[in-house]
Amino acid sequence: MIRRDVLRIGGMALGGLTIPRMLEAAGGRPDISCIIFFQEGGACQHDSFDPKPEAPLEIRGTFSSIPTAVPGVHFSELLPRCAKNFKKFSVIRSMYSKEAIHEKAKQYIFSGARPNNAFKHPVYGSVIAKELGPKNGLPPFVCIPRKDISADAGLLGSAYNPFITGDPAKKNFSVQDLTLPLGLTLEESAGRARLLSALDEEIRETEKSKVVEGMDYFYRKAFDLVSSQAARKAFNLDEEPEKLRDAYGRNTAGQGALLARRLVESGVRLAAVFHGGYDTHTNNDRTNKTLLPVFDRAFSTLLDDLEERGMLATTLVLAIGEFGRTPNINHSAGRDHWPGVFSVAAAGAGIPGGQVIGSSDAQGGAPKERPVSVEDLGATVYKKLGIDYTREYRTVGRPVRINSDGTPVRELFG
Amino acid sequence: MLKRAISALVLVLPLPAAAGDAVLLDPPGIVLAGPGAAQRLLVRRMDDAGEISDTASACQLSSTRPEIVEIQGTSVRAVAPGESVIAANCEGSVTGATVKVAAAGVPVEISFPRDVVSILTTKACNSSACHGSPAGQSGFKLSLYGSDPAADFKMIVEGHGGRRVNRADPQQSLLLRKPSFQVPHGGGHLFTKQADEYQTILNWLAQGARPSSGGPRILSIELYPKERIFATPGGKQPVVVVGRLSDGSTRDMTAEVRYSVNDEAVVSAVSNGAVTAKGRGLTVVMARGVGKTATAQMIVVDRASASRTTTPASDSFIDRQAFAKLRRVKLAPFPVTSDSAFLRRVYLDAVGVLPTTQETERFLGSSEPAKRAQLIDRLLERPEYVSHWLMKFEDWFRNSQYYSQGRTNASFKRYLAALIREDRPFDQAAREMITATGDTTVHPAGNFWHPAMDFMLKTFEVSKATPTVTRLFLGQRIECAECHNHPLENLTQEDFYGMAAFFARLRVKHGYAQYRRIWYNAREGEVLHPASKQAAPPKFLDGGVPQIAEGQDRREVLAEWITRTQTMQFARTAANRIWAEYFGAGIVEPADDFRSTNMPTHPELLDGLAKAFIEAGFRFKPLHRLILNSQVYQLSSRAPGRPGGADPLEKLLLARYEPRKLPAEVLLDAIVQVTGVPQEFTGYPPGTSPKDLVASIGATYFLTTFGVPRRDIMESRSQEPSLSQALHLMNSDAVREKIEKPGNILGQLIERTVNDREVLDALYLRAYSRKATPAQWQAVESYLASEKEAGRGRRRMFENVLWAILNSKEFQLNQ
Repeated sequence: MIRRDVLRIGGMALGGLTIPRMLEAAGGRPDISCIIFFQEGGACQHDSFDPKPEAPLEIRGTFSSIPTAVPGVHFSELLPRCAKNFKKFSVIRSMYSKEAIHEKAKQYIFSGARPNNAFKHPVYGSVIAKELGPKNGLPPFVCIPRKDISADAGLLGSAYNPFITGDPAKKNFSVQDLTLPLGLTLEESAGRARLLSALDEEIRETEKSKVVEGMDYFYRKAFDLVSSQAARKAFNLDEEPEKLRDAYGRNTAGQGALLARRLVESGVRLAAVFHGGYDTHTNNDRTNKTLLPVFDRAFSTLLDDLEERGMLATTLVLAIGEFGRTPNINHSAGRDHWPGVFSVAAAGAGIPGGQVIGSSDAQGGAPKERPVSVEDLGATVYKKLGIDYTREYRTVGRPVRINSDGTPVRELFG
Repeated sequence: MLKRAISALVLVLPLPAAAGDAVLLDPPGIVLAGPGAAQRLLVRRMDDAGEISDTASACQLSSTRPEIVEIQGTSVRAVAPGESVIAANCEGSVTGATVKVAAAGVPVEISFPRDVVSILTTKACNSSACHGSPAGQSGFKLSLYGSDPAADFKMIVEGHGGRRVNRADPQQSLLLRKPSFQVPHGGGHLFTKQADEYQTILNWLAQGARPSSGGPRILSIELYPKERIFATPGGKQPVVVVGRLSDGSTRDMTAEVRYSVNDEAVVSAVSNGAVTAKGRGLTVVMARGVGKTATAQMIVVDRASASRTTTPASDSFIDRQAFAKLRRVKLAPFPVTSDSAFLRRVYLDAVGVLPTTQETERFLGSSEPAKRAQLIDRLLERPEYVSHWLMKFEDWFRNSQYYSQGRTNASFKRYLAALIREDRPFDQAAREMITATGDTTVHPAGNFWHPAMDFMLKTFEVSKATPTVTRLFLGQRIECAECHNHPLENLTQEDFYGMAAFFARLRVKHGYAQYRRIWYNAREGEVLHPASKQAAPPKFLDGGVPQIAEGQDRREVLAEWITRTQTMQFARTAANRIWAEYFGAGIVEPADDFRSTNMPTHPELLDGLAKAFIEAGFRFKPLHRLILNSQVYQLSSRAPGRPGGADPLEKLLLARYEPRKLPAEVLLDAIVQVTGVPQEFTGYPPGTSPKDLVASIGATYFLTTFGVPRRDIMESRSQEPSLSQALHLMNSDAVREKIEKPGNILGQLIERTVNDREVLDALYLRAYSRKATPAQWQAVESYLASEKEAGRGRRRMFENVLWAILNSKEFQLNQ
């Protein structure tokens, strides 16, 4: 039976199944991976997924709304691709946070747990790294292009901090420390690795403590990564067709989203793409006019690309920011921090498309129906990835739940 | 039905035991109450080497005057006023206790906090999964494990429109009908109408359901045996809990508490009043009742060898305490380490640098018997001692760029450095910081308060100040009590806001430049308790009420209390922090998490260190000297035929030196030392050590990757290995440039000699404070031969050797 199945899957591989997906298909229940597109600074709900065309100008702003693939649902005119593609994702319009300062709010939405004075919660990627571990020799948690200060393993310790890629939109992009120094051949590198192993032999044989085992483990992983064709392939955007790279957008966010897809395809469990600039205290419209089209292109292409490769069903995709923006436009033509209500886009991993969950009031200032808390979103993320969201850690001498009292958003489970 | 009580006083006095084995009788100091009031006893035997035997079944209990106190199995029971002696006879070895039974009884009321709350605890009604959860359960909320009997009383008697309690017809009270399942109860059927629990609650209701009988309160509970060492799995140990009451009497609470075991792989959960040994290790059994907790340490040795363990003689109390415990668990300490291993270890631990080749050769060549002690004295006077411990002080005191935008970190750094350099009495420094006022650029002690500021709003927050002070100086984490009563401790929100009130009048002003901060006391101002919205009066953590004169700075009173009243705890906290740096873990671990449910592994040792610290006038250097000169500090990590680290007891019980990764700054300095290529930091002169950076945040990728903390939160720095660390040491330009720089140490060595072995030994001496073993030389020799064959030059080959050394575990570890 096994042979037949593998053959059958082998046939399907021609239809776009990638190698790791094939292995999972053969092994039964597929792993769910996650891509988080992080709109740093907090995107404006009015100018993205929750336009208020009926509201007065000082609230609705200057952008108009456009119909989407779902009759009756409108997005901002700045998101034409997402509007057309709405059948592939859901939008929560009644998300709210309780933190209005960037640092805390980012940590909150990136971990599903409210920051406190006692200890630092690990973020999703760190919990996932700890619970699910690495796959195919790749780091489980990767941040593109850099580590945001919120992206921290906190009480789990630095071993679960993210791996950082650098900016994939840069010319001659290569991941920090991942490639051998210029002039060092694989053969010479293997030689010195053998020498290192010989120098370490005594200690490896006679020291059994966790710290030494941990160092040994990460060195082996590091050598695997450096010498593995697959890993280098995963980070190599040059292998992507020019046309697809253009479709994603030739910028950090676009190439970052593409890199995230490649990484998840190869075994990374959570890839976060940080897209900055949404903190529009001044000149909201001018900023969003350039920023949101970048998001529109990257996010929409990502969903297309994932679907084409048969990966959408096994990849949870979220577009989040730390909060929304004030309903009223301020004196500097900007919008300030607004945790009262904002929108989140979610796709993949069984999330139905074309669905609007909850709603905000007429000003886009507070949830009107079905408020969704940051904790609820957290419970949803963990449940999608097969992690028990009631799990507790005791690393700081007290029980710390990875999620407190969140309820998975049932509409996202089809 | 009212109980008739007799106060019975049992005084336990040791009688001379027979030669050889000693007999231990626990708990001490029992005072019984009520007719037929009983107390379970524990009898154990200890041989002349201090080993406590597993079986006490051969022991007999007897009472000289059974008409006063009678024996029932393993319990004593008061019969009438008078005196009796209880003797425990174990095959000829005897110990005893004089028993005095006084005064005839008075009627005893059922006490709500003592009797009713006990039942709520043993039946888990007030556990976090049930009515003890922050939100309660089905509208009925109890304090977690009975920590707040007054609130529980209110909830039971007044809550739910008073329907939980029916004084006219007590049997109809919901408080009884629910747990006995006469009406549906989500928590199930907890006891029958015939059970003692039902009767006790019924009696309390019949007596009028009063908040307190006015009778004695339970002050503390104790769990016996306090330490139990099992030779093999399968051994059983009954546990006994005694409560100490405010009238001096005791109460057998063995069946009135809830037990939990931290690690059930070591001993089983408490079942039928006993734990069963399961596997090698150390764990803690905890008993909780009426808002009080008690703990006992359980060790399972599980080693086939029954032979006695011998330990070296020593006149250090550190060694005596640690070795006595090792003998009891039959775990032999590793031998004292070699001179070269000691040298590298003590340099890295005490001053955070590697010994130079010259220093190594001088030390290894010396035959002076006291050379280790002399080296320790010299090291403690070096400037690197200051910068190394400054790095740790900056971690503890969170000298973070995050709070002051990097502007005042330098002044605080200088302040802490002077404190360490001059070895100023720490109690004095603590008082200075806690009471600091003024402009932080002139009075740097005020920087102490920066972590208590809201980073964005630039306001002072008492909720941050309170845990900072208690954690730093008393090793107590009370931050959880800001939002809820401490789940494991008898620590409430009242306690938190009582402490917070000491900071209620502290204010901060921002000077003409954004970075200038001025701390001052306002004339008035109170902290409001979040529930009552009333001003919380200042109250010490132990419940004491401070005397504060009109116009006096409340912080002054607090600082006095911390350093002059809580002297031992203040000293324990400081000593434990230093200890943790040298041993990789505190005697209480985490080092700033003292609580009754987090036992020290070696309580007497910790107290000894604290006393030594106090006697030394709260100066750190004598403490360092004491620790570094102990044999326990100087033990090997491994021995021939005996790998280290496989057994978790080795670390917990101090049987060896636990290897650990070098901190980021120390590792970078070590790489600089070995390669001879200084690290450059923008804006600093050449030769700057990363420890000298002011607010090192974002200094280099190297430092953050290897765990330099942001110092914005109170977590200890992470010393865990990671993938990014391995990749960075292996492949980064930062490290490669040091290896390849012309004229670096490699360049000099290769120029100096054509002898490859000499080059290798010189590198080894620099990196490891020793020469290469024959096996290592052989490995390198054959590597060099094959590289030569591949056509690589001598310099290039040695660059790869140096790369391997810097990436080796031995280099990255202190061991």
